[in-house]
Amino acid sequence: MKKIMNKASDFARETVEGIALAHAGRVAMLNDDPQILINAQPVKEGKVGIVTGGGSGHLPVFLGYVGNGMLDGCAIGNVFASPSASKMEAMIRAVDKGSGVLLLYGNYGGDNLNFDMAAEMVDMDDIKTATVRVADDVASAPNDKRNKRRGVAGMVYAFKIAGAAAAKGHDLETVQRAAQKTCDNMRTIGFALSPCIVPEVGSPTFTIEDNIVEVGMGIHGEAGIDTAPMMTADEMADLALEKIESDLELNEGDRVSVMVNGLGATPLEEQYIVFRAIARRLQNRGIDLYMPHVGEFATSMEMAGLSVTILKLDDELAGWLRAPALTPFYTSENK
Amino acid sequence: MLTKSDFAKAFARVADTMAKHKDYLVKLDQVNGDGDLGLSMDSGFGALADCAGRSDETDLGRFLMKCSQAFNEAAPSSLGTIISFGLVGMAKSLKGKETASREQLGAALDAGITLIMDRAGSKPGEKTILDSLVPAKDAFLACPGDDLKRCLEAAAKAAASGAEATRAMRSVHGRAAYYGDKSIGVLDGGAEVGRLIFESIAKAGTDI
Repeated sequence: MKKIMNKASDFARETVEGIALAHAGRVAMLNDDPQILINAQPVKEGKVGIVTGGGSGHLPVFLGYVGNGMLDGCAIGNVFASPSASKMEAMIRAVDKGSGVLLLYGNYGGDNLNFDMAAEMVDMDDIKTATVRVADDVASAPNDKRNKRRGVAGMVYAFKIAGAAAAKGHDLETVQRAAQKTCDNMRTIGFALSPCIVPEVGSPTFTIEDNIVEVGMGIHGEAGIDTAPMMTADEMADLALEKIESDLELNEGDRVSVMVNGLGATPLEEQYIVFRAIARRLQNRGIDLYMPHVGEFATSMEMAGLSVTILKLDDELAGWLRAPALTPFYTSENK
Repeated sequence: MLTKSDFAKAFARVADTMAKHKDYLVKLDQVNGDGDLGLSMDSGFGALADCAGRSDETDLGRFLMKCSQAFNEAAPSSLGTIISFGLVGMAKSLKGKETASREQLGAALDAGITLIMDRAGSKPGEKTILDSLVPAKDAFLACPGDDLKRCLEAAAKAAASGAEATRAMRSVHGRAAYYGDKSIGVLDGGAEVGRLIFESIAKAGTDI
């Protein structure tokens, strides 16, 4: 294994400390705790809070979206491991401005239990919470078991849209609805070319054969739906659209935002080649493209590959997607 | 009426039992789990007893909430989190009270176990800790009269037969579920933890 780090057990902490130093004044650790990052800029009294959480190893997910117009806080676990309920609890208490807090995170067993627990803990003090679990990965369960699906790159759209609704001053119920509506209208499919290495393990926990693509692999290396021989960018675009459209209907006149997300070790050039193919196919069918997102949004350290997310927009969602946001890893200005 | 110090005594008894049964639980869990059951229960209940012994919180709800967090931090396994939910459910039921009657304790047990079932999406008969907790709670609620000690003993007895009954069940949750039919004939570690909890509390009942 070649990884640039100090001790493997310090990997997650030193990452967060680096981010807090690099973006001082924008984000800060809560009480110097490297497992809780919050927005350091003034937030309007009465604004609904939005928090997320999850393991390390996916930058910019999750903590990269803490900032104006998106998230108020993020609880951070070790690599690929959920943070504890008490970290989440401390974070919820810190960001609550009296109007309640939306818990918005990817649908994984450990995170679900811990966020549920944190919600019970703050409920003792009458802090209102609502929960939306992002479950956008079409490969992880069939359509009739959508609540079993994993949350992957699409969660960035949910952060963006819920964040805009909260910044506009909407109440908790509306912010929750904005996040849920985003989730209901988006689907993601991933393609992995090579595995990643959990620092404390020191070697890849799974393998992907040369010349093989894992179709539908999760961002922790969870098994996909299929393995296929290595394909061209155009073939990947076709397959992505096929898998997404078997689950979410797209018609002429629809307006969509497309995200092509690099998993960590895939060059931007390759991501744009796939985006080009998808954009042309959709435009040829009379589907409008709105605010494309190309780049690294949700990664798996040195995993090679990419994911494709499609979010179907109406005027309400498009307005919230367009609203200004600026965090250490996201800007609405270049989309 | 029960106060915080009664809960602290009971938790100390449970912690003592878990420490004594650490190896037993490890061996049981190795049959169809990952073997960490004894370790996580020992450290979880140790932390719970420690927190309860030190706490100066007199509101039973806040006291239990604080100590459920200590338990959860020390035992972050799935079963640890499930037991924490039980404590949180009890905490919410006892919020604002400095003492608890037998009826209020029964209601708190019921609230705790209901929260576990809600959050874990599980019910008795699926070879889990609920197979000892639910019969124990039912026996406690059905126990007539005001003799707390006798009611706790009835609960312990029901927990023991509930745990024994898991031998005939097939696992549907967690890692044990991968073993499917092979899990039949084996006692469930979680249900045994439930038995040990109620047996320890019944013993603590002599002091209360």
